[in-house]
Amino acid sequence: MFARLSLLLHIAAKHLLMRQRQTLVAVSGVAVGVGFFLAVSAMMIGSQTDFVKTLIDAAPHIIISDELRSPPPQPGLRAYGSKGAVELHGYKVRSEVRGIKDWQQILREIDAMPGAIGSPSLSGAVTLRLGGRDEAMAVIGIDPTIESRVSTISDKLRSGRLIDLERIQGGVIIGEDQAQRLGLGMGDIVAATSARGGTRSLRIVGLFKKGQQLGSGSGYMLLREAQSLLARPFVINRIGIKLADPYAAEDVAKGLEARHGYKAESWQERSADFLGLLLTRNVIMYSVVSAILLVASFGIYTAVSNSVADKRRDIAILRSMGFSEGDLQLVFVVEGLALALAGIVAGWLLGFLLMSVLGSLEFSIQGEVRRLPLDRSTRQYLIAATASLIAGVIAAWLPARKASRVDPVDILRGAV
Amino acid sequence: MTAPPLLAAEKLSRTLPGDPPVILVDEADLKIEPGKFTAIVGPSGCGKSSLLYLLGLIDRPTGGRLLLQGQDVTPLSGDARAQIRLERFGFVFQFHFLLPEFNALENVMMPIRRLARLTLPQAEARARELLGFMGLEDKALKSPDKLSGGERQRVAIARALANDPPLVLGDEPTGNLDSVNSARVVDLFRRLAHEQDRAVVCVTHDPGIAELADVRVSMLDGRVSEVRQQG
Repeated sequence: MFARLSLLLHIAAKHLLMRQRQTLVAVSGVAVGVGFFLAVSAMMIGSQTDFVKTLIDAAPHIIISDELRSPPPQPGLRAYGSKGAVELHGYKVRSEVRGIKDWQQILREIDAMPGAIGSPSLSGAVTLRLGGRDEAMAVIGIDPTIESRVSTISDKLRSGRLIDLERIQGGVIIGEDQAQRLGLGMGDIVAATSARGGTRSLRIVGLFKKGQQLGSGSGYMLLREAQSLLARPFVINRIGIKLADPYAAEDVAKGLEARHGYKAESWQERSADFLGLLLTRNVIMYSVVSAILLVASFGIYTAVSNSVADKRRDIAILRSMGFSEGDLQLVFVVEGLALALAGIVAGWLLGFLLMSVLGSLEFSIQGEVRRLPLDRSTRQYLIAATASLIAGVIAAWLPARKASRVDPVDILRGAV
Repeated sequence: MTAPPLLAAEKLSRTLPGDPPVILVDEADLKIEPGKFTAIVGPSGCGKSSLLYLLGLIDRPTGGRLLLQGQDVTPLSGDARAQIRLERFGFVFQFHFLLPEFNALENVMMPIRRLARLTLPQAEARARELLGFMGLEDKALKSPDKLSGGERQRVAIARALANDPPLVLGDEPTGNLDSVNSARVVDLFRRLAHEQDRAVVCVTHDPGIAELADVRVSMLDGRVSEVRQQG
């Protein structure tokens, strides 16, 4: 078996070496296909990873809020049910106390998960008032040490530090835009009134950068102080959770929601529209790069096809000598396989070079120097190789089948 | 009871489909015996080459049977027929049909390596021995296009003998050679039959060769018209 295979390989190798130009063209076709597949997918996957990372980091991986997906059944309905002959209308709706009950227990549960951190916070609406000017603001009470481990808000600060909230009584961090609208700067004092009427003086201890989601209308305070400003002592209405594995967020969120009833929103759910967009993008990318690989395999088809056409006489003589149809089919499939393999290796090299060039390009976006995010994982190399190998074998197999069907009698008779 | 002949054709026919169908070989009866040089003669188009391809298991008959040492090989699969050709038949054609990418030695080694009963060094030794028998020991590493017509044909004969086949089939093997080389090939064929006890079957239109054969088979219009034992 091995001797037979090595003989067929020998014949295939001779065929390819005798037709160097054809061989070179077919190999370069595959090489260009594989190379560009690698370069394009590196850019697409790289930018996607970059984008998803931004999505993940924009907010905690899971946010538990005091909302419920559907309102709880009213006590009256619970007592009498809806199946009976009685239908209830106009009953008094019981008003629920907002906020997450037993949040300490939820937090304990989260902290028990390896690598997970939960940060409780309370948010509510206040009005900032300065010199007859009113600005609505969503105040978010946090524990700065915990929150800084859960979210990336520290990175978004233009000036000040998150920890300053603990050091300065009534400290608040607001967006640069809002501060500008109110004419406020670092260290200035502003009056804040909550919906329930409580008023306090707040001191600006930090500013968020412009153009951030937080920038325009959110202000961060110490949790304690926010609870007192909003007149909701000991209440929290939001838990932000950071997980060791962001991709587990969806399952963890489902579990939490099932156990505690509060709406737990994962980053995937929050960014479902973006993720859908990425899916479309991936479909487009893979169809384009697959087309590149497919076109490359046409080169193999042509090369093997020509080889078969050229070697009809040799095929006939080998058949008369006692080579089987399978032998000849194998010779030409091996030729295609060899072309594909050579093309893949050359393509890997080309792709590597292309990525190096792309990776060295520098772009300036809003004053920041950036490089293209590239995904250089070996997985892409393997995908490109597997796909071209399969395409190459199919492309070679079609003409090889024709080779095995050559009737030696026709050739031998025709030559006489 | 005598042993069955090496090869026996019983009412062997080959018809090309068409309207009307073309009859290439019409119910040929023939026995091929070892140790004999058989020549098939006849005017061109009489079906002698077609008969040879049927006898050599290159073509399939449309009627009749072909017995190889008493075994009916007509219904065998393509692969089984290829194996028989590899092990027991050797072909020599009018044109040398050497593989142009391989040198003389590699061409002769081709069937030996395909059969894979010898190791590579053994196969090479066997091929060199055959080339020596053909008087070509110094041409072993030459590529076919560097050889003369007579030399090529002798390499082709060496290749036909590579797996030591009991049956050697020639299709106008001297058709492209001058008289000196032609005589040499015919002499070789006679030696293969008489000294090595092989069955040699040769299609030829050269009456000189037919004279030297032990058995002369004449064909006309696809039929075997006469089988004459000579000498």
